[in-house]
Amino acid sequence: MTTLGRILIVEDDPNDVELTLTALGEYNLANEVVVTRDGREALDYLYCRGEFHSRANENPAVMLLDLKLPRVDGLEVLQQVKADERLSMIPVVVLTSSHEEKDKMRSYKLGVNAYVVKPVDFHEFVNAVRELGIFWAVINEPPPGSVKKAL
Amino acid sequence: MKRTLADWNRKFQSVHSPFLRYGLSVVCVAIALGLSLLAQYYQFRDIEVPLFSLAVAIATWYAGIGPSVLAVLLSAACFTYFFTEPLYVFEVSPRDIPYFLVFVAWAAIIASVGAVRRRIEENLRETRDRLQIEVEQRAQREDEIRNLNEELVKRAAELEATNKDLESFSYSVSHDLRAPLRHLVGFSELLQRQTASLLDDKNRRYLQTILDAAKKMGNLIDDLLAFSRVGRAETKGTLISLEQLVSEAVAELSPETKGREIAWKIDALPVCYGDRSLLKLVVVNLVSNAIKFTRMRTRAEIEIGCVGRNRDEAEIFVRDNGAGFDMQYVNKLFGVFQRLHLPEHFEGTGIGLATVQRIVHRHGGKVRAEGAVDEGATFYFSLPKAQIAAERTANPS
Repeated sequence: MTTLGRILIVEDDPNDVELTLTALGEYNLANEVVVTRDGREALDYLYCRGEFHSRANENPAVMLLDLKLPRVDGLEVLQQVKADERLSMIPVVVLTSSHEEKDKMRSYKLGVNAYVVKPVDFHEFVNAVRELGIFWAVINEPPPGSVKKAL
Repeated sequence: MKRTLADWNRKFQSVHSPFLRYGLSVVCVAIALGLSLLAQYYQFRDIEVPLFSLAVAIATWYAGIGPSVLAVLLSAACFTYFFTEPLYVFEVSPRDIPYFLVFVAWAAIIASVGAVRRRIEENLRETRDRLQIEVEQRAQREDEIRNLNEELVKRAAELEATNKDLESFSYSVSHDLRAPLRHLVGFSELLQRQTASLLDDKNRRYLQTILDAAKKMGNLIDDLLAFSRVGRAETKGTLISLEQLVSEAVAELSPETKGREIAWKIDALPVCYGDRSLLKLVVVNLVSNAIKFTRMRTRAEIEIGCVGRNRDEAEIFVRDNGAGFDMQYVNKLFGVFQRLHLPEHFEGTGIGLATVQRIVHRHGGKVRAEGAVDEGATFYFSLPKAQIAAERTANPS
């Protein structure tokens, strides 16, 4: 039986959110997607705080993380997640516009699981998001304690 | 104690008033006379000559030539009057002459010793003054150096700040400029897909133009960022076999030469010193240009060689028989985003040669080009030869 892992998207730009959701929707991967709009909200979600205090305490199967975010930026989120024993197992994929060597280095040093530069070309973007979705939400076996729904 | 004696010594010697100087001479002789008379009264004999000599010596030493002469005359007179027979008369007898000569000789000796001493002192004073001036000048120079240093530190800080600004500028270009572009392309494609059946050819072409333009802008941004990275990247110098580098570059570009007839001529190339990945970028850019601009030839000829211009530098060239260029515009060739051909004929953003120039300049070399329209082009770049570069890094001047 195929199962679908929950994808947590951390992205401030509504256009990017829409494009990502469209890309995931084309492959029926959009049902189990949670969108948070900045680093603070993402951490609230992960720690079940604030508006997420009543959600079931399960980790997402993968987190797609933008780096440039209002309030708490992506690298800070990554640092906190990887430093927390309970959250450190969540696979984190940085999905960013930044080609910068510095960002890559810092992300990998903080223990990111993958680093993907958003392609300008829409086909490539759709392909990248789709493959990320399929790999992390379907093919990859997430660590215990993650949400997985039967398809 | 010694110090105060020396001070007094100096003070006495620097008295210039003639009244005081002659007075000193008179007082000295008077004291010598008094002491001699006192000694005579107590039956001490034969100490008059040393006492008067001492008086003459003191007068000569402290008061100079005039008072010295006065002291000699006074001493001789006192001696004649008080101590030689007949007593208490001024009668110069031949027996008095030796005493007189003793005083004169003594005065002469003291005067010459004084003169020597003064000369030495003069010399010492001059040397001291010179040293003092030198010390002052040195302090001044040190001040200047310190000022320059401070200015340098300030400049360095300013440069660092400018560099930081540039870095954050290119960062935000890479980050913020790309996002709207991606949305432009993304939503245009979505629109294209959703409305494919509704639009007529003209409107479809409009949409396609929007897409192409956005993609082109994406390429320009990427190229510009790569160009700025070349300027900021730290260079790691190693010895590089240019021959190997060229064959790697040619192999890398083989997808672009598929189905083409290209006559390669690669001469022996020297070993140079520089950053391998950057220099490879230079070679790849030049060779890929040569491949691109010979596209319309049925048989392309590309030659890569070296003119050993002089002992320190090697000049490498890449020559082709392609489209060439008008030498009138040669100074535009290496500018950023400068193109000498229409985009319909040859694609590209116009960043390649600017990158080449930037890298070669960072290696301390020069670039130049020769060509003629439709007769091919030759691009030259010079690099310091391995040995020279190694020496230069070993003892940077």
